[in-house]
Amino acid sequence: MLVLLIGDFNMPHRAANISPKFRKLLVPNKMQHVLCTGNLCSRETFDYLRTLSSDVHVVKGEFDDETLKYPDTKVVTVGQFRIGVCHGHQVIPWGDSRMLELLARQLDVDILVTGNTYECSAVEKGGRFFVDPGSATGSFSVNKTGPVTPSFALLDVQADNVVTYLYRLIDDSVKVDRIIYKKSKAT
Amino acid sequence: MYENPGNTTDQEKFLDQAIRVVKAEAFEMKRCLDKGKTMDALKHALQMLNEMRTSELSPKFYYRLYMDSMHELQCLEVNLIQEYAQEPSKLGNLYECVQYASAIIPRLYLLVTIGGVFIKCGLGSRKEILKDLVEMCRGVQHPLRGLFLRNYLMQCTRSVLPDFPETEEMLATHNNSLPKGAQKLKPRDGTVEDTIDFVLINFAEMNKLWVRMQHQGPSKEREKREKDRLELRILVGTNLVRLAQLEALTEEMYVRDVLPSILEQIVSCRDTISQEYLMECVIQVFADEFHLATLNEFLNACGQLQQEVNIKILLIALVDRLALYTNSSIEGSPAPARMQLFEIFSEQATTLIKNRPDMPMDDIVALHVSLVSLAVKCYPDRLDYANMTFFGLRQVIEEKGITNIEAFGKVGRELTKLLNIPIDEYRNVLRLSELPEYIKVMNYFDYRGQCNIAAYMIQNMLEEETILRRQDDVDAAFSLIGSLLKDQDNQPENSYDTEEFTDEQNLVARLLHLIRADDVDSQFLLLNSARKVLGEGGPHRLRYTLPPIIFELYRLVLQFADMKEEDDKWDAKIRKMFVCAMGTIGALVSTAELAELPMKLYLNGAITADRVPFEDNHTVVYEFVSKALSILEDDVPESRDRIRCLQLTVGTLLKTTHLPGENWQSLANQAVFAAAKMFKKPDQVRSFITVASLYWHGKTIETNGEPLKDGKKVVDILRKAAKTSKECLEPLVQQQLFIQLLSAYTYYYEDNCSEINIDHIEELINRTKDNAVQLDISAEADSLEKQLEEAIRRLQLAKISVAAAQVVASRTEPDLPQPPSENEGL
Repeated sequence: MLVLLIGDFNMPHRAANISPKFRKLLVPNKMQHVLCTGNLCSRETFDYLRTLSSDVHVVKGEFDDETLKYPDTKVVTVGQFRIGVCHGHQVIPWGDSRMLELLARQLDVDILVTGNTYECSAVEKGGRFFVDPGSATGSFSVNKTGPVTPSFALLDVQADNVVTYLYRLIDDSVKVDRIIYKKSKAT
Repeated sequence: MYENPGNTTDQEKFLDQAIRVVKAEAFEMKRCLDKGKTMDALKHALQMLNEMRTSELSPKFYYRLYMDSMHELQCLEVNLIQEYAQEPSKLGNLYECVQYASAIIPRLYLLVTIGGVFIKCGLGSRKEILKDLVEMCRGVQHPLRGLFLRNYLMQCTRSVLPDFPETEEMLATHNNSLPKGAQKLKPRDGTVEDTIDFVLINFAEMNKLWVRMQHQGPSKEREKREKDRLELRILVGTNLVRLAQLEALTEEMYVRDVLPSILEQIVSCRDTISQEYLMECVIQVFADEFHLATLNEFLNACGQLQQEVNIKILLIALVDRLALYTNSSIEGSPAPARMQLFEIFSEQATTLIKNRPDMPMDDIVALHVSLVSLAVKCYPDRLDYANMTFFGLRQVIEEKGITNIEAFGKVGRELTKLLNIPIDEYRNVLRLSELPEYIKVMNYFDYRGQCNIAAYMIQNMLEEETILRRQDDVDAAFSLIGSLLKDQDNQPENSYDTEEFTDEQNLVARLLHLIRADDVDSQFLLLNSARKVLGEGGPHRLRYTLPPIIFELYRLVLQFADMKEEDDKWDAKIRKMFVCAMGTIGALVSTAELAELPMKLYLNGAITADRVPFEDNHTVVYEFVSKALSILEDDVPESRDRIRCLQLTVGTLLKTTHLPGENWQSLANQAVFAAAKMFKKPDQVRSFITVASLYWHGKTIETNGEPLKDGKKVVDILRKAAKTSKECLEPLVQQQLFIQLLSAYTYYYEDNCSEINIDHIEELINRTKDNAVQLDISAEADSLEKQLEEAIRRLQLAKISVAAAQVVASRTEPDLPQPPSENEGL
């Protein structure tokens, strides 16, 4: 089962478009679930996600419209895995890995998906898996020096492991990295 | 026309009867042919063809009878040709004999058949026979029957019309295919000119018959008659097709003989249905070169057509066809001819519109759609052609006094098509500013129409990545999309509430990211000037259009930050950028009356200012954060929003490193105060926990990049949180808060906060465990139980690692190593 992890579009506040190279890859009906870390920031972007899959979950980014009432966190079960999603601006200090671990424990999830760092990453820690899909549009962030690499992630959820693909747009071509996470048999 | 039309069932009955006769006679005919009794066979053929004299059938049904009869006649033809091959003398005077048959319809059908046979067998003069046949057919003046008869004539002679100059090869091939003994065709036995005469006569006669249909019968059945006529149109059109297919037809012949004759017939018949169909036929079937050579004649004829004829369709078909041709053969056709094309059409269009004052507006616009298409696609560098066309349209609009054209009406839709053409073809919206008439025409649209076009333009610019590099670019773009930027006179009242409004403003916002000057100074000027224009958009637009400007300013600042060495006015410029940003955010507060959005933008500004090493940057940082806190305190009513705003403020403050301790403390205090002022107690607890991290991770300029790690203050705040959580009445919520506190304590303990009293935590654990027992059974309670276990386990691990660290530290002393503390059972 394929799960798309994507977020921090910041359209139109900070970005004009999703790169055509990404739009070519993101086609409807290939992914069963879409988990969005937030900061869409317009209805148009939400509609776009809806064209990719009928099961779309969005959590609130700090620049999403307040009236839209997206939740702060969401937990979705895909196969054997509980996947938690949160934008990450709620986790103080931002990007602190221990606080993220705490959140993962609170939500009781195997995989925690967060954004807010504008950098794509996937790390296993303490038996749990932490994925950050980065910014889909490579939108500007005051916290980052230099240009932001557009990125998103794809989870291939299998019986007892998850293969994560990190997609990055570097020098106008798409580079893919692959990481495997096996669910730990916790006592 | 047909005297007893009857209904469909009656027609089926008549047809059925007729076909039965046809089949019966055909059968007899074939029997006679097998026996070699040609004359008898012909008698049966005549009987069969008698059915074609009927007046009972409507065109649709007559056609079916015709097809069946033709099929049988074809068998006859094949048979006769075969017979001739075996016995040349057999055919002899058949041609003459047949003419003694009494009824004209059967007689002529048979005559045409036999005539065809004779030509195919090489008997007699091809030219003479053809001439004879086409003249003989004049005997049938009944429209329906006459049309089908003449159609049969064309079918029969299809393959034998002389198409000279034939090459020797073609002649030889034809002669070789003739049955043995047949007279071989001599060269010059009829030329293409004879064919042209033949077909033109047939065409003229058929058209006359066809037009005559219009006036037969009572006027109340006119609609039905016209419908029937349309069903038969292809019969007349076939003549033109036949002409067009002639290989030996030269441009000269077309210009001199063919077209004038055709046009004369079309114009003089003064029949709308005929004119409309045949003119279009001419455009479709003849070659592009022919049209180019006769453009003026053809267009003049258009001017002479009946008023009701839809000239627009003809003109458009012609323009479109020639535009395609011109485009694909740019090198081929001579330059002057190509040039003239546009002028000729342009002039004709103007004349046409002038001569037809009743021409509906949407037709007029449609005409201009074709002209603009021609101008833009075939003459891409002649912007004056396109401009001229828009000017022409504008004149018509003004003369007719039309304004506020409805976007989705008939005229509106054509107008949309028209305005989209240059956008699609030039693929650079900025070029439109070189067509002054374009904008003027656009302004005749109603509000919705103008917004639609503007949105289309922006989408094009986003798709094509049309960068706005200079002031002219920005000015041009903004003037083209002006209807989106400011309230318009013709704007409807409730437009702000619509989805379209939001979508359009979002498009404008996206466009702003295409402002990319070549250097920092220019970029600042562009952003500033854009901001001024956007500033007039009113409170409903600012919330969409100003944030991108602010972010672009922040991006610019960070970019410029690296260039300190290169610019001696660096400091002043940086300040100016911040002033601009702050002022712009201020507009969101005062004019748009927003709270959370400007607050977040202030916070982003704080981080930005902190990162740029300009003199006294900390004052700017302070101002940004304090403005944000001010909004939090006064303008954010909802609890959930307040929590979030406080989180963002704390997160932001933690990112700063250049505030002097005193100022930092002042802001941190305000944050603590805000936490205490949360409306609900659980929110206070959570906020306290958030705020506590300020005193642990926060950095001031004095700490030089190191975190404060003010453990005492952290513990202070956590104690306040603990106290408040005990005051929470709901057991589940209280439990949740206890667990969160526990995790918080553990967090700092792990991080070596020495002020954390481990006994204190143990006490909290006990308290929490006690509570757990008292909770009602529920899923929530189970989840909390699990979290509690995890938290306790985490604490144990922390204790071990802290103790281990102490062991390492104390290894410097020559003491016995301490055993690790006892594991407490869970």
